[in-house]
This record gives sequence, structure tokens and C-alpha cells, in this order.
Amino acid sequence: MPRASQLHLHCPAQSQYVAPVRHALTAFLEALEFERQSLEDITTAAGEALANIVEHAYVKGACPAECYFDLRASVNRRGRLCLDVCDGGLFLERAPLPGRGFGLRIIRAIAGELTIDTSSGTRVRMTFDCKK
Amino acid sequence: MSAGNAVKIIRLSGELEISRKYGLRAALTLSEDAAPVLLDLGEVTYADSIALTELLRLCVDAQRSDRPVAMVIKTPQFARLVQYAGLAGAFKIFDDETAAREYLAGLTRR
Ligand SMILES: Nc1ncnc2c1ncn2[C@@H]1O[C@H](COP(=O)(O)OP(=O)(O)OP(=O)(O)O)[C@@H](O)[C@H]1O
Ligand SMILES: [Mg+2]
Repeated sequence: MPRASQLHLHCPAQSQYVAPVRHALTAFLEALEFERQSLEDITTAAGEALANIVEHAYVKGACPAECYFDLRASVNRRGRLCLDVCDGGLFLERAPLPGRGFGLRIIRAIAGELTIDTSSGTRVRMTFDCKK
Repeated sequence: MSAGNAVKIIRLSGELEISRKYGLRAALTLSEDAAPVLLDLGEVTYADSIALTELLRLCVDAQRSDRPVAMVIKTPQFARLVQYAGLAGAFKIFDDETAAREYLAGLTRR
């Protein structure tokens, strides 16, 4: 019987950490034998949520030690993946700049469910019912 | 002279993502000449919304000066990203360079 699995990564909220975290998530999903297309879509959605933290979550000049992002992936025995991408910043409620605003649209097109909780920092929760 | 000689080719490869934001902007900024633009993105292994924004910017700039743009995209992740972002109608996408060149040559012949 497949086992439930978890991945937890915590990094400074800087652009150079986004790709390594995405690659680690890829390796995790490969180990769980996710099908190529779902794996790529999930890591694409994760990449967008992480990029949003780097770009929007923290004000310029904030103490770098307090600027982090946190990714938790958990897969249950039925292959349902819950992906939380969190930060300790402030969600910016505003209309996207011209030629922007694709990230959340991309996530919505991929994830089965998306919730954004802004009660303490921001937690973007995405769930995926996956083909493995 | 074949129309192919007059095409401005921009080739990018690897992962087009947030850590390359400023490099992408520089690579995707058009010079003043009037040549049609072929964006060869066939060797791109991953792209994100930052890349889409820079590509969109280039297309808008090119349109202003009446320069056609053709893109070669081969990676399934990249092709799906464009669909998910709702940008399929904004870009002229081909899956090989010959088809992209033929499209540009056809436009310049008219
Ligand atoms: N983690 C976050 N912290 C603060 N604000 C956020 C966060 N995630 C999203 N946002 C807000 O939601 C908006 C929409 O995000 P979305 O990813 O759709 O677009 P974008 O990041 O502005 O542009 P693009 O994704 O095309 O580069 C952002 O502009 C920002 O205001
Ligand atoms: Mg974004």
C-alpha cells in the first residue's frame, strides 16, 4: 500500500532559492512516481506562489532574517497532494500592474482548489488530485 | 536575399524564471532596426509568469513598430503555461523554427 509522505522546506525569501526549492519538489514527486504532466503542473504552481513571496510579500528594507518562505507538501495514501506555500509578510490587495497578474491565474488553472489565508502572513494552499 | 537573412533571432535556453528577471528583460529588449523577430525558445526547460511578462512586453514593443514576432516553443510545460495564463491568442507560437521562419517570410513578402 502506498505510504503518506511529506516534504518541508524553509528558505530565505530571495529569488535564487526559488529554483532549488522547485527542483526539490520535483525530486520528491518523482520519488512518489507522479506522472510527468501533473508533476510539471504542480511545480509550476509552486513556482508561481514562491515567486509571489519574493516579489510582493515583504517591504523593501525589511530585515532579511525575517523574510522567509516555507513550502510543505503532503501526499496522502490516495495520491491527493496538499501544497502550502507560506510567508510571514503582508498580502498586497491591489489590481495587478499592466502586463502582470498571471501567477494566480496559472495556479487556479492547475490546482483543484486554491485558498489564500492572510490572517497571519500569507498561506497559499493548493490541492491536487493526482494521476500517478 | 532570402527573407530569413533579415530576421532578428533571439535564442534563450534553460529555465526562464524569477532569478533571471533582469537578464531576461535585457535579452528581450529590441534594438531600433525593423527586422521581424524570431524568438527561439525551443531549448527552454521551464518558464514562469516573469518570462511571460517579458515576452508580452517584447510583443507589444514590436507591434508598435510593426515588427512581426514568431516564437518557437517545444517544451510541454512552457506551452501549457501560455494556455493557463490565457495568452495563447497573444503570441504566434510554432513548434519548429522552419515553420516560424516561413510565417515571418510570408508576412514580409506581402
Ligand atoms: N505572497 C504574497 N504576498 C503579498 N501579496 C501577494 C502574494 N501573492 C500574491 N500577492 C498579491 O496578489 C497579486 C496577484 O498575484 P499574481 O501572481 O496573480 O500577479 P503578479 O505577481 O502581480 O504578476 P505575475 O504573476 O504575472 O508576475 C500580486 O500582485 C500581489 O498584490
Ligand atoms: Mg505572480
